[in-house]
Parts: sequence; structure tokens; C-alpha cells
Amino acid sequence: MKLGSIESIWRYPVKGMRGEELPHGYASFAGLMGDRVYGLVAGDGDPGFPWHTAREQEEFVLYKARFTAPDNLLLPDDLDAYEEDGIGVKPLEPADEVHAVQVETPTGKSYDIQDPEFLAHLERASERRLKLIFSQKGQQDCRPLSLFSLSAAAQLSADTGLSVDKRRFRANFYVEWENQEDPYFEFSLVGKNLQIGDRLQIAIVERDPRCKMITLDPDTAEETPKLLQYVSRKLGGDAGVFAAVLREGRVKKGDPITLL
Amino acid sequence: MTDQDFPSFFRLTLDGENHQVPLEKGSTLLQAALAANIDAPYNCGEGKCGCCLALLRSGQVSMAVTRALSKRNRERGKVLACQSIPVSADPLWLDFDQ
Repeated sequence: MKLGSIESIWRYPVKGMRGEELPHGYASFAGLMGDRVYGLVAGDGDPGFPWHTAREQEEFVLYKARFTAPDNLLLPDDLDAYEEDGIGVKPLEPADEVHAVQVETPTGKSYDIQDPEFLAHLERASERRLKLIFSQKGQQDCRPLSLFSLSAAAQLSADTGLSVDKRRFRANFYVEWENQEDPYFEFSLVGKNLQIGDRLQIAIVERDPRCKMITLDPDTAEETPKLLQYVSRKLGGDAGVFAAVLREGRVKKGDPITLL
Repeated sequence: MTDQDFPSFFRLTLDGENHQVPLEKGSTLLQAALAANIDAPYNCGEGKCGCCLALLRSGQVSMAVTRALSKRNRERGKVLACQSIPVSADPLWLDFDQ
């Protein structure tokens, strides 16, 4: 049964920084290839959540990170051969050097993310000691994938009187549901398994508990606490859902989402 | 601050309405608001999510955990209600609408 379709696919090369929309991608057990492969850990961070994000430095969401060889991180090499093998062997991840990233600061200056000058710039801007962390396996907060519906963004706009940009929710997949009755239809899918496109299968595992990040305008970093207040008081603090990958696969814009 | 000096109420603004909220020593401003059946916004209650961010228009508070409070928030007079405990006898005014 078709439930909806993929409206857009997003990944975030650096955890907490601006994301990039993809025409298509590959979802592995670790999440969308290239998603949150870099992150910055703060020396004075909470041991339970050491990441430096826009919670501590709002302008962090304005930094634009992009892979210098983006096409090489859309699909694993030799993917057809892996898929034809039939026993579900996991494809090789691209080599570390393929993950080279350039970051543009809010003032327009560009750095190689590995450049010590970039770290020095961020430390000055944030007034914190920071350490760059790289892992081919995404460094998402909780789960490898996140979904958020356009209907939820529209309902939040209507209810709060704000113009709610979907990008505030930093999802991997923005979706359009067939269901026109429930704007937060994704909540009803917790515990269910879905197929996206021809091969990818995911399990919707839980609602996504929200924090200050959704209050930040993705283009200005100005804060609108009213949105998080509304989500807290009317939606139990949650918006969107998290998913785990059951079967790895390609995903592209417009892919149908069906219930397994 | 002596017990006599401790403020017994604080003013809370939410959704355009002002409330006088009873305050017990040791309670956070969020706990006091919830005890008064005010639908104050909160989520983690641990100073980490930033949901209870509010403007402290007057008074002084201490906060044990301020993870979700940025330098910019502090400069703008914001506090986390879930962590805020009064530390002066000055009248307190917490504004969730700003």
C-alpha cells in the first residue's frame, strides 16, 4: 500500500551545519552515505553529548559544508554487483579521501575542513576548545535516518502563525503523505516497516524529540522559541520520526513509500 | 538571601497573559509554574533541550546546567526555566513570549 513519496533527500556533511539536497543517494545501515561524517566535539562538552552545535553557537547552522567530490558519495562503487550477489553483502564505503569537505563561513570565507586554520577560526568564533571528528559511519544523534513530512511543516505554520521552513527539522527525507487527514501521519508509523523505492527498507522506530535546533532560522540563525514551545505543549516535544535501515538501498527524489 | 527575603511569588508571562506564581524555596521556576497548573513549555527538564528558554525581565537566578544556553542567549537575558532558582530578593519576572 502506497503511503506517500520522497519529496527531497538531504544530508549534512558536518553535524550541525547546513545540509545539502541530493538528487538521489544511498542509505546504508549507518544512514545516508556522507551524512554527518564530520562533527566537532567540545573540550568542555557534556560527556553525554559532547558535540558542538548551534545550541551553543547559533551561527553554526549558517556554515555551508560541501563535499569536494559530491558525486562520489552518492552511491558505493560496484553497487550493481553487490545487489546482484543476492546474499546481501554490504558494499564498501568510499575511501576516506573521497570525504574531503570545504566549509564556507557565514562571512563567505572557505576552508578545507582539515585545515588547522579552520579549527582555529571556529574556536575563536565559539570561544571553545574543539576537536574535529571524522567517521564514515554517520554521527547522528540517535538513529541513522530521520523523516519529516511537508504536512507537518504546513500544520505547524498554520497553528503557530509562523512560516515554518522544513529545513529547521534537519531530516534526511522530507516526505509527502497520501493521508490528508493527519498532518503528523508519520507518528502513526512508529513500529511499522516501510519500503522506499525498489529496495530500501526501513523501520520507523520512534518519534523525534526536539530541541533548540528547530527554533533557528536556517538562513539567518535568528531564534523563534515559539515553535519549540508549540511542539512541546501540543506534540509532546516531538516532530518527525527516526528510522533504522533494515535493507540497504538507493533512494531518489519521488520514490514511493509503501507499507511492508 | 535569608528565608525572609526569599520571594514568595514571581511574575510569569505566557501567551500574552501574566500570572502570579507561588514560589517555594528550592523549586525551579519551571517546577513552580507547573505546580500552579500553568502550561509552561518544557521537554527534557535537564537544561539540555532549550525548550523552556525564557527572558528574565527582572530578578536574579542561578542555573546548575546551561547546556542549551548560548552566549547570545545570555547576552539577551535569557534563562532556562527548568534550571532557574532565585538567588536574590528582587522581584522576578519570567517572560516566555520573548
